[in-house]
Amino acid sequence: VIDCDVHCQPDSLDTLLDHMDPYWRSYVEDATIALGDPGSYPPHLRGDVPTSAAQLTALLDRDGTDLAIVSCLALDGVHRHPDYASAVARGLNDWMRAELLDREPRLRASAVVSTTDIEAAAAEVERIGEDPRFVQVLLPVRSDVPYGNRLYNPIYAAAERRGLRIALHAWGRPGNAPTTTGIAATYLEDYVSNAHVAQNQLLSLVAEGVFTRFPQLGVAVLECGFAWLPPLLWRFDKDWKGVWREVPWIKRRPSEQVREHVRLTTAPGHLPPSPKEVAEVVEMVGPDLLLWSSDHPHEHGPAGAPLLSSVDAQAAAAIGSANAAAFYQVAA
Amino acid sequence: MTDVHVQERPARTRTALQIVDTDIHPVILPSAQRARMSARWARHHERWGRRTPHLTSLYPRARNKGMRADSWPDGEGHVPGSSLELTQHQLLDEHAIEIGILNCLNAQDCFDPPGFAADLNRALNDALIELWLEPEPRLRAAICVPHDHPELAVAEIERRAGDPRFVQVLFPAAGQEPFGSRRYWPIYQAAAAHGLPVAFHTGGYEGHRGTGWPSYYLEEHAGYGVVMQRVLASLVCDGALSAHPDLRVVLTEGGMAWMPSLIWRLDAAWELAHDEVPEIDRRPSQLIHDQVWLDTQPIEEPDDPADFVRIVEHARLEDRLMFATDYPHWDFDSPARALPRSLSKEVRAQILGGTAAALYDLEAAA
Repeated sequence: VIDCDVHCQPDSLDTLLDHMDPYWRSYVEDATIALGDPGSYPPHLRGDVPTSAAQLTALLDRDGTDLAIVSCLALDGVHRHPDYASAVARGLNDWMRAELLDREPRLRASAVVSTTDIEAAAAEVERIGEDPRFVQVLLPVRSDVPYGNRLYNPIYAAAERRGLRIALHAWGRPGNAPTTTGIAATYLEDYVSNAHVAQNQLLSLVAEGVFTRFPQLGVAVLECGFAWLPPLLWRFDKDWKGVWREVPWIKRRPSEQVREHVRLTTAPGHLPPSPKEVAEVVEMVGPDLLLWSSDHPHEHGPAGAPLLSSVDAQAAAAIGSANAAAFYQVAA
Repeated sequence: MTDVHVQERPARTRTALQIVDTDIHPVILPSAQRARMSARWARHHERWGRRTPHLTSLYPRARNKGMRADSWPDGEGHVPGSSLELTQHQLLDEHAIEIGILNCLNAQDCFDPPGFAADLNRALNDALIELWLEPEPRLRAAICVPHDHPELAVAEIERRAGDPRFVQVLFPAAGQEPFGSRRYWPIYQAAAAHGLPVAFHTGGYEGHRGTGWPSYYLEEHAGYGVVMQRVLASLVCDGALSAHPDLRVVLTEGGMAWMPSLIWRLDAAWELAHDEVPEIDRRPSQLIHDQVWLDTQPIEEPDDPADFVRIVEHARLEDRLMFATDYPHWDFDSPARALPRSLSKEVRAQILGGTAAALYDLEAAA
């Protein structure tokens, strides 16, 4: 089993400051900044995010996981100061390497980068990406500028050069409304919205020609669901047939590009109640596009029939590990 | 005189409608708008124009201004949708449409002053009656309302509700707040009290979609289905549907194939978070089944037509879908060709006419 979305976070900002320029210690202490301000995340749903290799080892043993990719979301709340974001990103990456990867060989990691200083982000991908245990670059699915924009070229070029994937993870950019009409009044709606934001990012990535510019690039969509993909692609293909003149760099159907370059994690699944319908959904999405994930320690409730037991053995094996092994070029 | 053989109609049982088009876009030209506005606001219209940036200039439509190439009427100043005669000829007659519903979008993006918005919408409704509904009995219309000014919108609903040719209340898909917000509830109450569905139509003026602004019309247009998902998510999560059990909602020109995944997502999220919103008294899937209808345009076209049937089954949409052409826009759906053959005859008949006839209580023109 390869688990493509396990969360981790240092127990405090103090842990990171050892990895950062001394300027930032006084900046942090004077302003009394904490790491990973949970913002509007509901207190009872936060869970205990693993903070050490020992906790992760226990988790992998418990779940029988052969390999897990850890993602640290602590940068989501500190993004706006470009230099601070870059410094924290670098500190987090060094922390993950020294405290997690070096201590638990079954771990791989997502490199974090600033999204407000793209040159610095690309440099960080080059630096940390030398270590093959970093398998992807983590970006929050909610952005200031859609991810197809050429602004991000340096990050994608660096990721492609280092053989890293791009991961778009649910949430991020606190204060950015997920809707066309402003902030969602309830967690319920905000939570549901991640799927919609992710759909808009896929439209952007394809329409702007990212996969034409970077043919080796892969994008994983984390924690945003996947059942929405087939209808989106049906409409996308149809619209492209109608207005292709506007985007002449797109030579192949959007759905083909997405199927080649994009993968999606399984938690939360937000699946139908019957196993038969789950199997139909997986068939429409394509079992080869799905990456198994626990999203530990986050809770997504019991709704829907379980995914792996609803599909045939071949699809279950692909989803459970083979897809991730191929996509990330890792061996469990 | 020849003998007229009068065929007896079945005793007042309504003739089943074969084809109802639930989304036709008439254009009321600016001169016709001003002619029906008060002097105060007609002058404003002429001198100050409209406040809203035009999405069509931000995201230029790839060809023909996004219109069917053959839909340009003859005559100075005419644009697609401004000619009843051409609409009769190339839509109602050619496609044997028995009843067509006019959704006039001319004030959908109205961010102008409240008085202007109210006067413009009243003028549009007057123009719809005079220029479209009076001369053509096959047509019905949505009431145009200044949706962001609820008390004015309610007044416009009250003005029109007695006219059976107005069959629903028209909203865009984005306004100044999420449409589940209490700001809009007085409008929903008034519509429900008169038995009028509220139709949310793609368009209006949107903020960006949580990602920053897209660059191309392709993204903007392919993402309209996502915007419609947001409308429904807000109506559910902000409690608007559960608070108005008599409210019937129509989602128009947002496609429909995304519905199952949204329902499953909402149900799962509701199981996780229902104590955040205990006012929501039914599972989202049940709320939606009880209160929401969709039109089919632009119809999704999966490679495997069997997938279309699956979507209908997964979301229990057999009697919730209504055919629409979206005339005169470029991605027109034809009643003869748009619906996949994989659908059963019964479901096709419901989509083409039966469901709309029941929802809007329609009868064929005499």
